[in-house]
Order: sequence, then structure tokens, then C-alpha cells
Amino acid sequence: MDWRRFAIIALVIVIMFGTVVVVGISQNSPLVIITSMLATTIAVATPLTLGALSGIYCERSGVVNIGIEGMMLGAAFFGWLASIYMNTVFHQVPMLSLLTGVFVAVLTGGLFALLHAVLSITFKVDQIIGGTVINILATGITGFLNRQMFFGSGSVFGGTVPHSPGVLPSIHIPLLADIPVFGRIFQQQPITLSALALVVITHFVLFHTRWGLRTRAVGEHPRAADTVGINVIRMRYLNVIIGGFMAGLGGAYFTLESISSFEPMMTNGRGFIALAAMIFGNWTPFGAWAAALVFGAAQALQINLQFFRELIPPSLAILQNSYVVGLAPYILTMLILTGLIGKTIAPAADGKPYEK
Amino acid sequence: MQNIDGQIPVKKLRDLLNPLLVPLLAIFTAMVAGGIIIAIVGGNPFAAYWGLVQGSFGSAAALSETAVWATPYIFAGLAVAVAFKGGLFNIGAEGQLAFGAVMAALIGYALPGWLHIDLPAYIHIPLTVGLGMLAGAIWAAIPGALKAYTGGHEVINTIMMNYIALNITSFLLNGPMRDPDPLNLSARTPEIAASARIPTIFPDLRVHWGFVLALLVAVIIWWLLWKTTMGFEIRTVGANPDAAKYAGINVKRTIVITMAISGALAGLAGAIEVTALNYRHELGFSVGYGFDSIAIALLGKTNPFGVVLAAILFGAMRNGGTRMQFMTQIPVDIISVIQGLILLFVAADAIIRFIYRIRVREERVVLTRGWGG
Amino acid sequence: MKKLYLVIAVLVMAAMLVPACTPTAPDCTKPEVFCVGLVTDVGKVDDKSFNQTAWEGVQQAKTDGVANWVQYIETTDAKDYDKNIATFADAGYDEIVTVGFNLTESTYTAAKKYTSIMFVGIDQFLSADATHPEWPLANLVSISYNEDQSGFLVGALASMMSASHKIGAVCGTDAVPPVWRYGEGYRAGAAYEDAKNGTTTEVSVVYHSDVGFDKTFTDPTWGADTANSMIDKGADAIFGCGGKTGNGAVDAAAQRSVYAIGVDTDQYFTLPEADAWLLTSAMKPETAPVAAVIKLTKDGTFPTGGIYMGPSGYAPYHDQASKVSATIDTEMKAILAGLLDGSIKTNVPPVKPAQ
Repeated sequence: MDWRRFAIIALVIVIMFGTVVVVGISQNSPLVIITSMLATTIAVATPLTLGALSGIYCERSGVVNIGIEGMMLGAAFFGWLASIYMNTVFHQVPMLSLLTGVFVAVLTGGLFALLHAVLSITFKVDQIIGGTVINILATGITGFLNRQMFFGSGSVFGGTVPHSPGVLPSIHIPLLADIPVFGRIFQQQPITLSALALVVITHFVLFHTRWGLRTRAVGEHPRAADTVGINVIRMRYLNVIIGGFMAGLGGAYFTLESISSFEPMMTNGRGFIALAAMIFGNWTPFGAWAAALVFGAAQALQINLQFFRELIPPSLAILQNSYVVGLAPYILTMLILTGLIGKTIAPAADGKPYEK
Repeated sequence: MQNIDGQIPVKKLRDLLNPLLVPLLAIFTAMVAGGIIIAIVGGNPFAAYWGLVQGSFGSAAALSETAVWATPYIFAGLAVAVAFKGGLFNIGAEGQLAFGAVMAALIGYALPGWLHIDLPAYIHIPLTVGLGMLAGAIWAAIPGALKAYTGGHEVINTIMMNYIALNITSFLLNGPMRDPDPLNLSARTPEIAASARIPTIFPDLRVHWGFVLALLVAVIIWWLLWKTTMGFEIRTVGANPDAAKYAGINVKRTIVITMAISGALAGLAGAIEVTALNYRHELGFSVGYGFDSIAIALLGKTNPFGVVLAAILFGAMRNGGTRMQFMTQIPVDIISVIQGLILLFVAADAIIRFIYRIRVREERVVLTRGWGG
Repeated sequence: MKKLYLVIAVLVMAAMLVPACTPTAPDCTKPEVFCVGLVTDVGKVDDKSFNQTAWEGVQQAKTDGVANWVQYIETTDAKDYDKNIATFADAGYDEIVTVGFNLTESTYTAAKKYTSIMFVGIDQFLSADATHPEWPLANLVSISYNEDQSGFLVGALASMMSASHKIGAVCGTDAVPPVWRYGEGYRAGAAYEDAKNGTTTEVSVVYHSDVGFDKTFTDPTWGADTANSMIDKGADAIFGCGGKTGNGAVDAAAQRSVYAIGVDTDQYFTLPEADAWLLTSAMKPETAPVAAVIKLTKDGTFPTGGIYMGPSGYAPYHDQASKVSATIDTEMKAILAGLLDGSIKTNVPPVKPAQ
């Protein structure tokens, strides 16, 4: 990951934040605005980061994963369902219910990933198909089960909305969280913090361990890896499943950390944005995280420009139109991707089944 | 390996049926699995499927509605399939479809006013549909050109273009193109002129000539891909861009053309929905086509005729799902589950061959070469 | 191939072993069997929002013994509106309820075609004009609401309860008039109390208009992010209006321990997660009016004039009741009375003016 790319990403984020500070300064202090935008940016980036990490594990080992969306949706549903069962059926305390939910969500992600691995590694099905199957199945299964569980008198919960155990509580980082106003940034929920930790861990694992070297070897040149005694199939299976765990944790964010209920289709395409973030970040954990932050900042920009709508000067009236502002992150992504930063290079064996 | 020359070997009837055997068994197995799920939740699978069949093929009206549903699926499925043939993954059919629809609606309602003449249908219809196609083609050619000349990956760019198209469409339909009728409360365009409307085939049924056009376009795409130089170039670039380069094919130009054709087909899907069915564009009418079209292209193994069959199957299931729900109250989500299973079994035909102990050597379709090439 | 048949046989038997226990529909074509069908807008009957409450109204009619058989069809694509209405009409249903203003034209056309069937459209606005010369039809009634009044009420309450004098609303798209009326009514309500008390309340209303129409109401995570952004800037009362997107905002507000305000139904019962901080809900009750219109139909007194106004109002304070002072409660009752008798006006037009 070259520094030029990070510099441009940082510049873009600064411009987005700066625009809002300039517009909103008469109503809120710059510190409040920046803190609030940073909080939104981090929140939006969390599932995107985890989704992108999922893609990185899969694709670094040579398996394309467009099923991140489905894995996250499935994990969001089953994790939430598990927490509901623990809370209302088995009468466990909220914390235990939530942790069980996270565990089940991660496991669900892993199971969907196992399906993807079986399809694309063992059966050598085109990997795009494997991902599409997961996306369609996850939509259907979660929608169908959600209906069977919660709607109507004949459903499992008899049509009443069961009391969910709430969301994972914030962790206050000592000292830092006590800073006035800005301390808000250091009060984050566990999945958000884990996402940051996993970015660092993934970077370390991929680039500074034997495991990472082998994973990359399998993704770049499987035949050579095989020759030196690396079990290509096994490495791919394990990496895809680890990728599934990441997507599963990303799914848990939706129903156990952000809000405390499930809605059909609630991932709303974020799995695809995560995929874009992964490619944007050139298949590196820090790059993908930076890309996720750009999407987060763009959403913070949009929310805040609507928030300060009355303060936007007439000369910038175009910014009042939410559709126009909404275009910004996507156009920006395309510009950054194509012109300013140069080519992205995928793992050489990405998408190719390994034949002995 | 891909069957490059596309010849269908007609040696025996068995050989002809073999390619259909696995998909048919896959559909059957998925239906049985779906039936078991329905039974587990307390429904009657036979009643459900009877409703599905009745609703999709049980009467002239049902057949007509199935064709109405299948029409955009055929176009959009072909769009994705053509891109796959060229080694490209067009995940942006949704946006191209929306742009085709917006353009067709604009030409449909506004052109007579701009020109201050009443256009005859034989000019107005081709113009409306053609410009809708063009809008879709341009919308897809942009990521195509970015891919060819800057290396920007088409998957991200088509996803981004989807979101951009949605925003622009929302802006237009809420602003400049919004139906000015004071009673209109929706984000929609005015109705298109009568001269821009594609007629229905039968007086009391909604099935329209757009369906026939869709079948015709499938034949044209087959001809284009296997009987023309351009098609050969598209398939060669798709199979092996390096070889294509050495063979003297202009790879970059071919990538742009492939995406433009793909986008034109998706735009056509939108334009036909406007000119033959809805007579206007309304926000949210193309919910889910982009995604379903990927599944249809895959189910049809990117073969134009396979895509037509897959599109009709998907159209029948979406259409018949209403009747199924009406008769049995089984949620229509089960249709998505069955569709996912069909795709699963078609994709992993090894599962099917294992269950039914079939030993058929089947060609494996290679769709994409990862992100790199 | 033997194994093939064996597998098929086993699978088919497995499917048949499970008992069939779906209740079968009575013959709705018989005059003595009163059947009611409901066609949803693009969306599901379990949306915890307008489709669901309307369906509960239809079910209410069955529970009350008014209807003998009730059924719904969920629309998956806008092009199916006519087909879905016709499915009920052809099966001999006596009354068809259609939900959402998107079905306005389809319902009007169907009502003209099937003159012996009674039609109830929810959130559909029509008047006699060139396109609808025969309006009002004798067999069509629209259940409408003054969402701006309900929004006005909760806006007034939010501004009175806010300690920071910063309040927010997180809404679905402003392209849907009822949602826009809620949002602008909220603004107007806060302004009304400001003028009365000499306070200045910052009201921010954010609409989720930046995505496809199918997603503006189904994005709770966006709703939560937006609500959190408002709370970070000091807002201490959040009104979530617009399906699941709004629910996400209500949920987030409650998690951050600021006042949360629900919409459409008393969300104390539909969003139990938010109960601890749910101040009230802007009411747009559908269940009772739908059941009432069905009863009127059965009794042969189908409402004339084309419009049946549903009530405006706000839900009880529930767990927050102790924090609402007697003065504020009295003021709320006065505003409600004023809105109903017309002495207080929201001045919100029915549709967002063109830009």
C-alpha cells in the first residue's frame, strides 16, 4: 500500500469534514462537528471493514467472494435469533444472550463460507456462482424464517415481538474517554473495536507470519506452493472459513451492536460496498479500512449537510439536494480508483480453481 | 472447456437431452427440497406447487403474465450473459435498466412536444426504444472504458454506477421529469404518448410484442456471438485476453463494445417495461432485476437460449408465487429459497450427478477469470 | 438408473408424509360468505408498519365475526397491482383493501370495473378531475390521515421536553407525501411551541432520499447512524418516521438514553427495545378504521363521499409519564383539541411543493 493512496484518502476525508465544519460553524463548534462526523464515519465503516477483511482472507488465498452480502445478512439474522432465544426462552441475562448471539453470528458466517468453499474449491464451481448462490439463499432463508418465527398467530413467537436483549454496551477506554466532547470517539462498542484490532491482526498475519506467506503463495501461485509442500486445498478452505467468520462478525454488527432488531434485507448492499472497499484498498487490510472510512465519511457528509440544510449558503444550493450529495462517494470512488491512484492488482490465482 | 465453435453436435437424441438433464434434475431436486421446507412449516407442498403451476401456466391470463414477467428477465439475463462471455462481470444491470427506462420515458412523453408534431408510431416506438437502449449502452460503456483504458475494475465501477443511476433517477423523477399533474403524489414521469406504446398481442391480455422481441433478441445475440467476427473477438477476449492480443484483436475496444452491448440489453429491458407495460417510469419499479439477472445468466450457462428458458422459469415462479400465496398463505420468500437451491444444484452439478448417479461428461462453463486480467 | 427412481420415490414420500393442514378457503362467490382481501404495496405484511397494521384491521374484522374469510396478497413488483386486485375480484371477494398511495390508480380502475365489489384504499387521495371524472365512486373509499397533525403534536412535545433545545427527526424519503407531512408537521409543532414560550429550538429533519425507493424505508442501520449523529450534536429527542429506517433511529435514541418518538402505531408495543426511553408515538392508527369500514360495508352503510378520515393523535407516555409535567400534558391536550376543531393549523401543504 503506497503512501500516495493514503494521502489522497486522508485529503478526501479532510475535505468532506471541512465542508461540514464551514457550513455548520455558526450552529456548532468545529470540535463538536468533527467529533460527530468521526463517530458516524467509524460506525458506518465497521461492517464495511469486516466485510472487506472477509474478502481479503478469501481472495488472498485465491477464492473470489461476492457472497459477503449474503453471509452478513444470514449472520445478522441467526445471531439475533440466538440472542432472542437465550433472552426470552432460556431466560439468560442480556450480556450472555448477546455474546451467544455474536458467537452464533460468527459461526453462521463460517457455515455459509464452508458452503462457498465446498462449491468453489471441491466442486470447482465458478466462484462468482458460489457467491451468488449464497446471496440468494441468504435473502430467501432469512425472509422466510423471519416470517415463520415472528408473524401471525401461527408463528413460533405467536405474532408478538419478543423482547431482545438490547445491544452490546460501549467500552470506555480509560482516560481517553474522559476527554470532553472528543472523548465520545473513545467510547466504542466491542465489535467496532474488534474490527480495528482485526485490521491490525490481519495485516500482521498476512505479511509477517508463515501462515500469511503460505496463504499468499496459494493465492498467487498455487502450483509452486503445492510443489514446496503446501496443502493448497486445505489453505484455501481454512482461509475462506476465516473470511466467513469476519463476515459473520460484520453481520452481528447490524443486529447486536447497531440496533437490536432484524429486518429482512437489512444489509442493503453493504456487502457489495465492502467488496468495493477491498478492491479500492488493493487487497490490503489497512487499505480496505481506509476505503471503508471514505464511505463512512461520505455518509457522514450527507447526513450532516441535511442536518445543516438551512445554513448552506445560496451559492452552494446544490448541496441542499440530497440526491446530488448522495452521488459524491460513488463518483469519488470511481475517480480515485481509475485516475489518481493507479492500478489495483489482484492475487494472481484469484478466482481460479486449483487442479492438480 | 468452453465450446468455442458453438456447434451443437446432433448425433443422438440422448446427446441433445444430456445438457438439459442436469438442470431439469436440479430444478426437480430444488422443488422437492422446497416442498420439504413447506411441509416442515405446516404447509401442504402439493397445494403450494399446484398454486404455483396454476398461477404461472394454468390459464391464458396466467401464461400472459408469465411472459410479461419473463420479458425483462430475458433482456437483463442476456445482458449479464454477454458480459460473462467477454470475461466481464456486469453487476450493474439494475442501473443500466433504470437509465434505459428513464430515457425511454422521456422520449416517450416529451419528444412530440419538443418537435411540435404528432409522431407516427413506426417512428416514435423505435426512437423511444432505441434511445433507451443507447442510454443503457452508454451507462455500461463507461465502466467498460474505465476497465479497458485505466484498469479500474468493472465490478466496483458498475456497483458505483448503480448507486449513481439510482440517485440521478430519484433526482429526475422528483424534479425535472416529475409528472406535473397536481394530483400526482408519486415520484413518476407523465404517461408516454400513445404513439410510443408497444401494443399488446391479444386484446384482453397484457402480454405484448416486447416478449416476442425478447425471443428475437436472444436469437440475434446467439448469432452475434457465434456467427460474427465481433462475437468471435468477444469470446476470445473472454476466454484468454493474452491470446486475443497476440491474435491481433483490439482487446480494449472489444471490452468497451462488450460492455456497451451488455448495457444496451439491460437498457432495452427498462425501455420495454416503459413502452409496453407501465407507459411511464416510476421509482422503485425495477426492484431486484439486476440481481435476478445474474442468477438467470448463470442458470442459463450464459447460452442465449439457456437464458431464455431460465428467464421463463424465473418469471413463472415470480408470477405464480402470487397465486401460491393466495391459495396457501405460504410466504413468497420460499420462491427465493427454491431459486437459490436451483442455482446451487445447477452450479454444483456434481451434487446432482452424485444423487442420481449420472455419468455425463459435461462442459464446465468458465465465466470469469478473477479480478486480475 | 434404478437408484435414481429410488431416490425420487423416497423424496416424494417424504414430502407426502407430512400432514396437510392449511385451512381451505370457503367459496367467496356465495352471497352469504363475506370475504375480504388485502393487497399490499411493494412490501410485506410483517413490516411492523402500514402494511401490517392494515392487515391487522382486516383480521380484526374476522375476529369480530364481520368477515367470514380474510386473505392477503403481497405485491412483489409494482406491475402486479392490477393482477393482484383481480385475483381477489375473480375469486368473488366482497371487499378489497389496498394499502398505500402507489395503488391509487389501480384501485380506482378496479373499482370502476368491479362495481359490485367494495374497495378501500389506504393513503389514497383522489378528487373529481379530467382523469377521474366519475369520482367519488359509490364503491370506493379512501382512508386518509392528517399526518402533519400527528407530527405537529410530537414536535410540540419534543420541543417542550428538550433540555438542550435541539431535536431531530429521521425520516424515510420526502418523495412520499405522508412521510413528508410527518416531518414538516414535526417542524411546525416545535415552531408553534417556540413562538408560545419564547424559546428557540433547533429542529433538524433528515430524509433518507439518497438510495433507491425500495430501500428508503428498510434501512434501520442508516436510521441509527443518523440519529446518533444528531445526538452527538446535542439533540435530546429523536422522532423516527418512515418504516424500519425510522425504527432504527428510535432504537438508537433509546440506546443513547435520549427521548425517542415512534410513529404510526404506539411503538411501545412494536419496539420493546426502546420502551425505556419512548416518549410517545405520532399516531396514524389503521387497524381500527379498516375494521370499522369493513363493518360499515357489511351493515350496508358503506361510507359515501370517497374519503374516510382516520384520526390524528399521540400515544401515551408510558414509562416516561413521570417526566412529563402536568403543564406540558395540559398543553398537549389543548393542542390536540385545537388541531381537531381547526383553531390550530399546521400550515403544512398536503404535498411537498415542487422545487
